[in-house]
Amino acid sequence: MSVKTDEGEIIDGVHYHKHDVVIVGAGGAGMRAAIEAGPKASTAVISKLYPTRSHTGAAQGGMAAALANVEEDNWEWHTYDTVKGGDYLVDQDAAEILAKEAIHAVIDLENMGLPFNRTPEGRIDQRRFGGHTREHGKAPVRRACYAADRTGHMILQTLYQNCVKLGINFFNEFYVLDLLMVDVKGVKRPAGVVAYELATGDLHVFQGKSVIFATGGFGKIFKTTSNAHTLTGDGVGIIWRKGLPLEDMEFFQFHPTGLAGLGILLSEAARGEGAILRNADGERFMERYAPTIKDLAPRDIVARSMATEIREGRGAGPYKDYVYLDITHLEPAVIDAKLPDITEFARTYLGVEPYTEPVPVLPTAHYAMGGIPTNNNAEVLRNNTETVPGLYAAGECACVSVHGSNRLGTNSLLDINVFGKRAGNNAVAYAEKADWVPLPDDPTAGVRKILDHVRSGDGSERVGAIRKELQDAMDRNAQVFRTDESLREVGDLIKKLRARYRNVLIQDKGKRFNTDLLEAVELGFLLDLAEVLVYSARNRKESRGAHMREDYPKRDDKNLMVHTMAYLTGDPESAVASDHIKLEWKPVVVTNYPPTERKY
Amino acid sequence: MTVTIDSPRASTTKHHKGINLEKWGWVFMRASGVLLVVLIFGHLFVNLMIGHGVKALDFAFVGGKFSDPFWQVWDMLLLWFALIHGANGMRTVINDYAHNRLVGVVLKSFILLATIVLLTLGTLVIYTFDPCPAGSPADLLPSFCAGV
Amino acid sequence: MASAVAAKSGPIAHGEVPTFPVTIIIRRFDPEVDKEPRWVDYDLQMHGTDRVLDALHKIKWEIDGSLAFRRSCAHGVCGSDAMRINGKNRLACKTLLKDLDVSKPIYIEALKGLPLEKDLIVDMEPFFDSYRAVQPFLIASSKPKDGKERLQSAAQREIFDETTKCILCAACTSSCPVFWTDGQYFGPAAIVNAHRFIFDSRDEGAQVRMDILNDKEGVWRCRTTFNCTDACPRGIQVTKVIGEVKQAILRGKP
Repeated sequence: MSVKTDEGEIIDGVHYHKHDVVIVGAGGAGMRAAIEAGPKASTAVISKLYPTRSHTGAAQGGMAAALANVEEDNWEWHTYDTVKGGDYLVDQDAAEILAKEAIHAVIDLENMGLPFNRTPEGRIDQRRFGGHTREHGKAPVRRACYAADRTGHMILQTLYQNCVKLGINFFNEFYVLDLLMVDVKGVKRPAGVVAYELATGDLHVFQGKSVIFATGGFGKIFKTTSNAHTLTGDGVGIIWRKGLPLEDMEFFQFHPTGLAGLGILLSEAARGEGAILRNADGERFMERYAPTIKDLAPRDIVARSMATEIREGRGAGPYKDYVYLDITHLEPAVIDAKLPDITEFARTYLGVEPYTEPVPVLPTAHYAMGGIPTNNNAEVLRNNTETVPGLYAAGECACVSVHGSNRLGTNSLLDINVFGKRAGNNAVAYAEKADWVPLPDDPTAGVRKILDHVRSGDGSERVGAIRKELQDAMDRNAQVFRTDESLREVGDLIKKLRARYRNVLIQDKGKRFNTDLLEAVELGFLLDLAEVLVYSARNRKESRGAHMREDYPKRDDKNLMVHTMAYLTGDPESAVASDHIKLEWKPVVVTNYPPTERKY
Repeated sequence: MTVTIDSPRASTTKHHKGINLEKWGWVFMRASGVLLVVLIFGHLFVNLMIGHGVKALDFAFVGGKFSDPFWQVWDMLLLWFALIHGANGMRTVINDYAHNRLVGVVLKSFILLATIVLLTLGTLVIYTFDPCPAGSPADLLPSFCAGV
Repeated sequence: MASAVAAKSGPIAHGEVPTFPVTIIIRRFDPEVDKEPRWVDYDLQMHGTDRVLDALHKIKWEIDGSLAFRRSCAHGVCGSDAMRINGKNRLACKTLLKDLDVSKPIYIEALKGLPLEKDLIVDMEPFFDSYRAVQPFLIASSKPKDGKERLQSAAQREIFDETTKCILCAACTSSCPVFWTDGQYFGPAAIVNAHRFIFDSRDEGAQVRMDILNDKEGVWRCRTTFNCTDACPRGIQVTKVIGEVKQAILRGKP
C-alpha cells in the first residue's frame, strides 16, 4: 500500500507520520491545494477513497468564469449573479474574489491539460447555466466552461494527473476520524490528525504544521440525493465535535433534476442547452415562476416550483409525483456531443430514451452551502472574527461564504479551484514560519473512544435501519419545504435515533477492510450534522434561498440577513438539542449590492 | 518542470536499444499472415481444384511440382512463413501462460529446436527431391521421367 | 409536442414496483479466517429497478454487515465497484438485476488478476502503478505567453475525446487474459490513458510514452481478444484505442 517503511515510525502499533502540510480529502479542493503545497513543502494527502473516486468527478455541467470567449461578459456581472443567486447571504468580498480569480483558475486547469470543449477559434467553449446572466439579470449569458457533461470528471482527472506528475504523497483509503487540537500559549492550534487505515485497521497519526480540511459534503443525511455513499460529512463532523463553529448549516441545496426515485443527477447543462421542464399537462411551468430566464432560474427557485407543481396536482406519472425534463426537441447529434452521459443515465436507470421521451425528474439533495466557516484566505474561523492558526478548509465542507443560501450551478467547481488553491498556498506559507505543535500525550485516544463506542453497543440496532429512518425523515421534513412542525418532528426523531445509535450492531469484528465498522462511525457524523441542520433551520424564521419555511414565507432582511453560527457547547449525548447546541449570528459582508427583491 | 517521473515499475526502466523484437515480431505476424493467406489458398487451389482436383494427387503430381522452380520457391516461402509464424505464435502463448520462467525457457527451446529441424528437413526435401528415382515403375513417375 | 408529453404515462419511477426473488452467490474471503475463498448464497427479494449494488447493500445492511466491497457514487462515474458479475467485469451500480437472468443465481466475485484482499475488494496498487508508469499527465514545455489558454481545435480535441472518459475502474485491465497471467503487462487502462495524451495536440511527451509502450510488456502483448472493450462501463472502444497506439508506434509519431 501507500505507506512506505521509511514514512515514519511505529510505536505500540500506531504509525506516526510527520509532514509540513496535511491535507484531508483528495477531491477537487484537496488536490488543488496539494498541487500548490506539494512542490514547496512536505505534503501528505489523506483520503478515505482513491483520489479518482472523489465526488468532484460526478459534477457534470461546467465551471463558471467570465472569459468572454463567446459573448460579452465580465467578472463583476458574475459577482452580482453569485450574490443574487445566494439570496444576499453571500459575503460579497468573497464573491468578488471567486468571480475575479475564476478566469485564472480556468486557464490554470487548461494549462494543466484539461480538455475543455472548444469554440471554432480553438478557445474554451462556454454555455449557459442557471442564474448566470448578463448586465445584472437582463438575459442568460454563456459563462460555464465545460468538457461535455463530465466537467467534474475532467477536473478530478486533471488534478490527479498533476499530482502524479508532482509525486504527491497520497494515503488512500485512510479515514481521518479526529483532529488533534493543542493549547499553545492560550491559543488552540492543530497538531495533526488521526486516521484509521481501512486495509489493516491500524491507526496513523499525521503530525502537521498546517492542516487543510477538504472533505466534501454530507448529502447522505437525505434519502434522495445526488451524493455518493461516502459523503457522510466526516470532516465537518470532526470540526463540530472539536467545539469549532459550523456556519449556515440550514442551507442545503436541492438540485431540481435528479432522476425520479433515484436522485441521480441530470445536469443543469441540459437546461443550459435548451431542455424544458414540463408538468403533466405538458406545460412549460417555469414561465409562470421566472418569466425572464424561465428554466434557467437558480436551483432553489426551480426546485420549489417543481415541488409546487406536484403539490398542486400537476405532477406526471401514475402517482403524479414527478415532472418531466424534455430534450426531445434537441438534435440527437447535439445531445450526443454535449450531454452524452446524462442521456445514458436516463437510459440505464429508468429505461427512458431521451431522444424521443421526456425524462421523469425530481429535486435531489445536492450541495451543502454551509459548513466549516473560513475567511477569504481559507483559514478556519473559531468565532465570528478570529481564526484557528494553521487550520484551513476548502471546497464543499467549507463555508466562505461564496454561496450564501443558494449556490449557483458551476460555482462549486470554481470554489474548489479558487479556494483550494488559496488554502494550499496559505497553508504552505504558514508551515514555513510556524513551529511544530507538540502532539498530545495519547493522540489516538479520541479515535479509540469513537471506535470503542460503536464496538461496545449491545448489538440490538442495525446501522442500515437507523440511517434509513434518518434519511426518510429528512426527506419528509427538512427538504424543499420546511415548517416549524416538520422540523420539530424530525428533530425529535434524531434524538431517538441518537439513543438507538449507542446500541449499533457491528457484525465484522476483524481488522482488515472493516467497512461495517466505518459505516457505523460515519452514521455518527450523519446524526450529528442532521441535528445541527435541523436545529439551525428551525431557528431561522424566514425563507431565503434554499431554506423555504412555509410558516415564514418572506425573506427578513431587517433581522435575518446574517449567517448562522452553530457551536457544540455541551454533551452531544444529552437529550435536548438546546442543551448542547448554541446558535449565534454573524454579519454578512456587503460591498456593492444591497439586498433587493429576487426576481428572474 | 520535469518531464519524467521515477518509474514505479521495473520493466519500464530498461529501454531497448537496437532492434525491438516484440515490435518486429508483431509486424512479422501481420505481414506473414497476409502472405500466408495467398500462399496457402494458392497451394490448395492448384492441388485440389484445378484439373482432376484431389484425385490427381499422386507421386507424379508432387514430383512434377518440385521440379518446377516456380513451385519450389512457392513451397519454400510457404514452409518458412508458416513455420516461423506458427512458432512465434506458440512463443507468445508460452509467454502468456507459462508462469514459471524455467518452464518457459525450456518450452521455447523445444519450439526453436523443432522449428530449426523442420525448416532444415523441409528445405532439403524441396531442393533435393528426385522426381525420377531409379528402378521405379514408370506409371508412378512424372511423364518427363521417360525422357531422362 | 406538449400533447405527446401529456399522453405519455411514464415509466414506473417509484411507488409500487414489482418485486421478484433473486439468489446471489458471492465469493467470500476473509483473510483473517479463510484459507481459501468460499461461495456463499443469499436469497433476496428485490425490486425491478434495483441494481446489483442494491442487492449487495441489502445483504450488507440487513443480513451480513461483514460483506466487504467498495462503492461510492453509485451511478457509474467514480469507478469503485467494478467486479465480476456472472463471469463478466461490470460496475455493480450500472448493472440492473432485471437485465440479468434472475431465474438463475447471480454469481459475484472480485476482479481477477489483482491480489484478492477481502470478499470483493482487490489490491488496486498494481493497477495504479501501471497507470502512473505511462506518465499520464500533460507534458508541455511552454505556457501560452498571453496568460490565456492553449488553442486547440474541436477536431484536434475529438481525436482523444474517447479516452478522456476513463474512470480507472480496472474493469478492462482485469478482464484481459494476458494480464491474468502476466501482471507486468501494462494492461488496457494504462494504454488508454497513454492514448489520452499521445494524441493530445498540446502534448510534447508522446515519444516518451510510445517508447514506454514499445516495450516487452507494452502494446505488443495485446492479443485483441476484445475482452476489454466488452468490459468498459464507459463504452470506450479499448481494443481500437490500443490499435491506434500500435499504429502510432509503428509510424513513430502520433
